[in-house]
Amino acid sequence: MSRQVKVMLAVVAMLVVLMPVLVACPPVVEEVPTIRIGIIGPMKFTVGEHTWWGAQMAADEINAAGGVNVGGVMHQIELFKADSNELLSVVDAVSAMERLITVDEVDFVIGGARTEAVLAKQEVMADHGVIFINVGSAHPEQCMRLAADYERYRYFFRGAAVVNSRYLGKMIFALVDMVAGEIRQELGIETPKVAIMMEKAVWTDPIVAAAQAKLPKMGMEVVGVWRPSPIAADVTAELTAIKDAGAHIIMTAYLGPVGVTASRQWGELEIPAAKVGINTDAQSKRHWVATGGKVEWEVTFNFIGPVEITPKTIPFYTRFLERFGDFPYYSAGVYDSIYLLKEAIERAGTLETYAVIDELKKTDFLGVGGRVVFTGIDSPYPHDLVWGPGYITGLGIQWRDGELVVVWPDGRAVLGDKAWEGIRFEGTVDYKLPPWMVEFWKGRQ
Amino acid sequence: MGSYLYRLYRGFQGEILAVPGRVIALIFVTLLFLLPHIIPHPLVLKIFSLAALFAIFAASWDFLSGFTGQLNLGHALFFGVSAYSAALLNVHLGVPPWATIPIGAIAGVIAGLLVGIPALRLRGFYLALVTLAFPIILIGVIFVFPDITGGELGLFGVDRLSGSRVLDYYIILLVATASILVMWKLTDGRSKIVRTGVILHAIREDEITARASGINTVRYKLMVFSISGFFAGVAGGLYAHYIRIAGPSILELFFSFQPIIWTIFGGIVTIYGAVAGVFILYPLVELVRLHPVGEIYRIVLMVLILIVVLLFMPQGITRWVRDHIEEICPRCKLINIRTRRYCRACRAPLRAEK
Repeated sequence: MSRQVKVMLAVVAMLVVLMPVLVACPPVVEEVPTIRIGIIGPMKFTVGEHTWWGAQMAADEINAAGGVNVGGVMHQIELFKADSNELLSVVDAVSAMERLITVDEVDFVIGGARTEAVLAKQEVMADHGVIFINVGSAHPEQCMRLAADYERYRYFFRGAAVVNSRYLGKMIFALVDMVAGEIRQELGIETPKVAIMMEKAVWTDPIVAAAQAKLPKMGMEVVGVWRPSPIAADVTAELTAIKDAGAHIIMTAYLGPVGVTASRQWGELEIPAAKVGINTDAQSKRHWVATGGKVEWEVTFNFIGPVEITPKTIPFYTRFLERFGDFPYYSAGVYDSIYLLKEAIERAGTLETYAVIDELKKTDFLGVGGRVVFTGIDSPYPHDLVWGPGYITGLGIQWRDGELVVVWPDGRAVLGDKAWEGIRFEGTVDYKLPPWMVEFWKGRQ
Repeated sequence: MGSYLYRLYRGFQGEILAVPGRVIALIFVTLLFLLPHIIPHPLVLKIFSLAALFAIFAASWDFLSGFTGQLNLGHALFFGVSAYSAALLNVHLGVPPWATIPIGAIAGVIAGLLVGIPALRLRGFYLALVTLAFPIILIGVIFVFPDITGGELGLFGVDRLSGSRVLDYYIILLVATASILVMWKLTDGRSKIVRTGVILHAIREDEITARASGINTVRYKLMVFSISGFFAGVAGGLYAHYIRIAGPSILELFFSFQPIIWTIFGGIVTIYGAVAGVFILYPLVELVRLHPVGEIYRIVLMVLILIVVLLFMPQGITRWVRDHIEEICPRCKLINIRTRRYCRACRAPLRAEK
């Protein structure tokens, strides 16, 4: 046996002997403590996708900046994604919540979309005593449960940007009022006629009833109510009837795919009535493509837009658009929630649940969607967001040439509330009526 | 006493231990009862608690649609009526779970009769379409009275079954075991005690002939609707107290189709097939979700499994397994393990000699 072969054999033998030792000894890596945050939502739908994107952005930024200081020790944020499938199955949502808490052992959970599912998830949250920040469902009941049994449900907070649906209604009427004002001023029509066109769904029933009662008091005339199916693929008949009724405004409320149909056909037919209200699909950039640009001039509410709600808004909006190619909407809530959670943890100096809850209650945080302050435990809606001038307000956005521009708050009083006077974020532009509408009505005067 | 115990043992040996399918069922049930001691993880307990109550739901669909051929595409109605009844009684009147669940099951019986009576005039696709409509009608009713039913939010804050997860699991498992045993016995065509099984088979195969033979098919069909409604109702009541919410999602189309998928996967017209279908598919899909990739493709995976089963095991997975491990004696019809050449009772050859 040659000397070379002997050396090689010796080396191989040494490796064989040392192998178990090498395997047993893990490489020396500095262990970085982490904060585990579960992000829950219907991930196969836009709502969930945006929730996850918002969380990713916040976590990446915080981690890149060194992490979260917990009692002098820097922690990195580790996200755990859970598809709740809650738009289709509440059971799936409950299982996903349980999995995040018991398998992934997350410290906090952020997310939520469907009210029924969020209510069920609140039970899992309360059973395990884990802080849950809801960023998708706006129903007041979730916070009313805290008023009824604070001890059990105190882990729940309504996260940034998603306001209580009671305020949502008020916002919609403010938007209609703004459009009516423009019609009075530009077209000289003192009593604008309003067509209520809202999808046939339970959530729109109270809005329809409120609109019928409230609009005449606001100096408008209701010419009729049209209720297409949330999945209607053709609303030509409704739009033609609205045109024949002589409506100047179409007050909308859509969550379903009918939002795309209605926007597209309204633009194609050039219905001479301004479209304003809720159209959640119209908050996404994809809506412009889906409607072939026919959504131009439509107004819908949103919680974030390209205006300086706070100094953080525009940079966030730009970065989000660059990274994900879409306008942020649900993302803003989860993004702000992670940041305000970070601040609460740092103030508490610990991850201990009750200490963090105490600090969350003291939150006064300037996020991308506005100033976040939670209501107190003596409120009928504890741990809800404070809404109004100086806090979270929401926005009215209008589609123009493929972009979203902010048109509300416009600095005027809202439905007689003078506290709104002067509230107009930098970058806000004046609302404009659709040009074909102006042409149509001016020709008749 | 000694001889009685010996006879009991001999009976157990002959009826259970000598039949491979029943041995598997025995091991499976034993493992289910030991589960909290083997894997005391909360998620595992939750998955198997839900699987147990869904097993009652699926078996009740098989009892109705499999055994009598009354194709019900709206089985969620019975489940939903009971869940809402239990939740209404508990939330508004403070009735405890031990009372709301049986009352909910009775509400399921009433729902079964309400569907069953008009269904007597219909068959096949027409019956299927009518049953499909019932849960949708109930959703409409729920939305008309939101102050009572909770509207689109549903009724929440329903009391828990018990104070602990393990106890919840055992309550559901015990109720499920008892319910499934009753349904299995009622459909057992060979039973000498209950004769309904053979009659239900007769109605499904040829209703006119069954009627001509003196069987009151109307009475039996209504009875099946009621019993199916009862057990689906038991599952619905348990669900309301376990998830602690009864909302419109349990009346949606998807919820009605789930027991059909589970039953076809496991093996229709068997009862145990529906149970096996739930206990294989439901935990599998949930466990697949633990992996990030599985989370995305779990529905695709489920569809693939279903396609494979339908292609290669058209009678369902349990039938396929039984066909490969059991052999029925051509003379005395007793079930034998497939490895035997001669029947364990009459010694007749189980297969033709080559």
